Amino acid sequence: MTTARTLVRPAAARSRRRPSRTRRTVKRNLTAYGFLCGALICFAFFSWYPIVREVLLSFQKTNFVGEARWVGFDNFRTVFADPGFTDAWVNTAEFTLLALVVGYVVPFAVAIVLNELKHARAYLRFVVYLPVMLPPAVAVLLFKWFYDPGPGLFNQILHAAHLPGLSWLDSTSTALISLVIVSTWMNLGSGTLIYLAALQSIPGELYEAAELDGAGLFRRIRHITIPQTRLILLVMLLLQIIATMQVFIEPYLLTGGGPEGSTVTVAYLMYQYAFNFTNFGGGGALGLMLMLVLMVFSAVYLRVSREEAR
Amino acid sequence: MRSRILATALAAALGATVAGCGGDGSGGKDTAPLDAGTKVSITVGCMPAKSQAAQRREWLEDVAAFEKLHPNITIEGKDAFPCIDPNTFQAKLAGGQMEDVYYVYFTDVRAIIANGQAADITPYIGQSKQYPNVDPAVEKVFKDGDKVYGLPRQNYSMGLFYNRALFKKAGLDPDRPPTTWAEVREDAKKISALGDGTVGYAEFSAKNQGGWHFATSIYSQGGDMVDAGGKKAAFNSPQGRAVLQNLKDMRWTDDSMGSKQLLVDADVQRMMAAGKLGMYLGAPDNATALVDQFKGKYEDYGMAPIPGSVGTLMGGDGYLFSPKASPEKIKAGLMWLDYAMLTPGQGQLNYARAAKDGRPVGIPQPKLFGQNAVGEKDRQLRADAANLPVGNFKPYEDAYGKVPGKLEPPQAQQLYTILDSVVQAVLTRRDANIDQLLADAQKKADAALARSGS
Amino acid sequence: MNGTRTLVSPHTLGTRRGKAVYWTALVSIVVVFTFVFVFPLYWMVTGAMKSPDELADVPPDVFPHHVDLSGYREAWRQLDLGLYLRNTLVYALGAWLFTMGVDVTAAYALSKLRPMFGRAVLGLMLATLMVPPMVILLPAYLTVKDLPLLHVNLLNTPWAIWLPAAANAFNIFLLKRFFDSIPTELIQAAEVDGASPARILWSVVLPVSRPILGVVSIFTIVNVWRDFVWPLLVLPDAQRKTISVAISSLAVQVPQNVLIGSLVIASVPTIVVFFVFQRHIMAGLTAGGLKG
Repeated sequence: MTTARTLVRPAAARSRRRPSRTRRTVKRNLTAYGFLCGALICFAFFSWYPIVREVLLSFQKTNFVGEARWVGFDNFRTVFADPGFTDAWVNTAEFTLLALVVGYVVPFAVAIVLNELKHARAYLRFVVYLPVMLPPAVAVLLFKWFYDPGPGLFNQILHAAHLPGLSWLDSTSTALISLVIVSTWMNLGSGTLIYLAALQSIPGELYEAAELDGAGLFRRIRHITIPQTRLILLVMLLLQIIATMQVFIEPYLLTGGGPEGSTVTVAYLMYQYAFNFTNFGGGGALGLMLMLVLMVFSAVYLRVSREEAR
Repeated sequence: MRSRILATALAAALGATVAGCGGDGSGGKDTAPLDAGTKVSITVGCMPAKSQAAQRREWLEDVAAFEKLHPNITIEGKDAFPCIDPNTFQAKLAGGQMEDVYYVYFTDVRAIIANGQAADITPYIGQSKQYPNVDPAVEKVFKDGDKVYGLPRQNYSMGLFYNRALFKKAGLDPDRPPTTWAEVREDAKKISALGDGTVGYAEFSAKNQGGWHFATSIYSQGGDMVDAGGKKAAFNSPQGRAVLQNLKDMRWTDDSMGSKQLLVDADVQRMMAAGKLGMYLGAPDNATALVDQFKGKYEDYGMAPIPGSVGTLMGGDGYLFSPKASPEKIKAGLMWLDYAMLTPGQGQLNYARAAKDGRPVGIPQPKLFGQNAVGEKDRQLRADAANLPVGNFKPYEDAYGKVPGKLEPPQAQQLYTILDSVVQAVLTRRDANIDQLLADAQKKADAALARSGS
Repeated sequence: MNGTRTLVSPHTLGTRRGKAVYWTALVSIVVVFTFVFVFPLYWMVTGAMKSPDELADVPPDVFPHHVDLSGYREAWRQLDLGLYLRNTLVYALGAWLFTMGVDVTAAYALSKLRPMFGRAVLGLMLATLMVPPMVILLPAYLTVKDLPLLHVNLLNTPWAIWLPAAANAFNIFLLKRFFDSIPTELIQAAEVDGASPARILWSVVLPVSRPILGVVSIFTIVNVWRDFVWPLLVLPDAQRKTISVAISSLAVQVPQNVLIGSLVIASVPTIVVFFVFQRHIMAGLTAGGLKG
């Protein structure tokens, strides 16, 4: 009863103003959706629908001539039976881990050192970021030339230092790490600059206080630098995992997945299924699996970065 | 007539594959020539790119002449260089982005037909006057049973491509190239002994080209890729082992194959043009690529028949028709191909003009026609206009008819992917176990062949 | 940069030993960084000036025998790089226009007009950040090939680059957050004056949002320029490729020095952009990276 009364009373009281207010609300909503419609259309077609379609695709068989057919888990069975399937996941995991060891620790260390320098800062910042600005295809093709075991730059440098040359891309033992090196070289700059910005926001008093307590250089790094940049470190960790697990252009342009499949990554295998074997269902199944794995990392990333933003 | 309407309706309702299958129903041939009053415009692939100025000019001349002859037909060339980028070809095909008359390698034709991505042109084939003169062994590539799907543009059989300049430098007689694999190995050793990064013999091993060359090599040993039924892999054989053992010996025992592997054709051509490579397996038109793209010199190159001369791979390229193309377009396309690709003295076979344009003439390729008058005329015209040291190709040409040519296997690209890995293993790992590699590859290949059958 | 205390105390640096260590470290860092990040580029620029024979030489020469620009000339002519640079420019500028038009209006609506279900819409948009572009590559390709409902094929058209570029949740997020920080009084004042929402967006919101617009613009353009796999798939026609895709498929077909020349030419535009907009790019990077 009381509910009804409270509902009726104010409405009756404001009955004269009500139509104009509703109209204003409607108008505001219409305007707002007018402004939003471009984005809604773009997202619907190129983001939301493809996500749904990804799921459908992995349960379908299609050759684009006739209608798609539902095949249940057939596509998953096909890719599971592929001996390259496990290898692709192992390679991807290995690539991600190696890229973390090199590409995660190094930029942080570089940033710490750069932050201490009082000279040549602009130059060094410019220089680390330079490779990031090359189109990735250019950087990758450039390194392909450097990796040539004959006249390539890297072996020539090794020879000049009286070291034996390596086979780089031509050996199952070094091909994957060679891809990690290119990838790290061209991406190192952005991580470094982000860490640098984070380091600059650490209050100097903290270091002073720690020093008064007699903390040495490494203890200061451990107890001040790292805790103070904890969130950004975590965000970057997740971002890098997400980025490197999608690795495609490096195997595509450098090795074609070889030697002996040692650089076939999940993304590359997905591409091969779709465009080399004309099996979009199999590619879709791989894509869905990769999507689920990456979504876990992305979800954590979004949580962490929201916390960071606060 | 009624059955044709029925077939058309079926095709419209069920899409283009069905048009191919429904062909039995259509029965009768549509032999009527294209009505001169019907305006037709067709897109055609593989027009020479701007960077190939002379070829492009010739193409445009041909189009102008053809359109003058047939004012109702418009030819819209689509240029690309190279005409097929193997990385994106399948994507283009899957995306339905092909021209009305599109360019293909022999390698892919069977799979394309099986996937329903090419139109059945059997009813209209009469529009090609030269079709009956085409070598049946070549035309077989474009046929599935009695149905015809396309026409060839170029064809070749693989042989041993070698660097005459390096042969001389290494104290070998450039007029007596190796004829067996044992001799190849000996000569490769001598050439790589020149040092300074010189490689005796190079082999492809990436982008499916390793598998393609493995097929060539196993044919040269008298082996085969698949069994007669095409349902089982046949490369895990003494011949297959011989191919790999030979590579292994050259790579690791003799060290005559250089250290850089995972090569593709362009890498090898680049090495050859830079004067750093002695021999590799290839087709005669490699000479053109070496000179046009990589700035090599014709007189430096020669060609011998495939080592062993027991068998070799026959390859080439040609044109298929979009499954969406109308009968009018197909007819117009056949007329164009007939005019520009298959008539001696015209289009690509106009050797006199090519020589006048400063293009090389005299390479023993293509060999589109059989032993008939048209073929004879083509050979004569080419010989008359030749401006190359044709003697360098004589060993290859003399043996051309004698070495049996074999076509590529079914599911070629899938088998090549599998065998790429095998060749890579032998060339990059000293301890590669050939028996094991072949056994594993056979398992994968059998699975791929079985899948395709269903 | 003086005054802010960092890891190492100014006192330690002031000692004679500290100074020695500092200067040794500085010099070696400058040398190492130059070697690692600049020398490869030097090697690339000079590599294009060497002849193919010279490039095959072992050991190589640090300086080319003579400055020969034919590698660049050939790359430009043989590979038709002018066409591909122009293509890429068209794709990048179009993507920028669409991103600006679509994302700015959307962020404004979500931030200031606050319609019903606005939060849900924003949530759905942000959720797409969890799905990286690579994993929906195939369905996105199929969508572009045959747009649902409309059955239009966008392959080989610039729309295949422009429209998906506008569906960028990160841009909307950045813009909305910036718009949120614009004081409401400013907008209310304009409303009192009778300005329409479009008018407010144009003459009140946009002028104060220059910094964030700059960041979004640069990143949109640079991303299109750097992108590889998407244009590889949706622009298969040889005449419509982007510069990155074109050199990756064509450059293998030419001599080594021409290949390298094409790499240099392809990297010039982004490097120039970097030179000019260095500060914006670095500022944008930390803005996006830190809080994104």
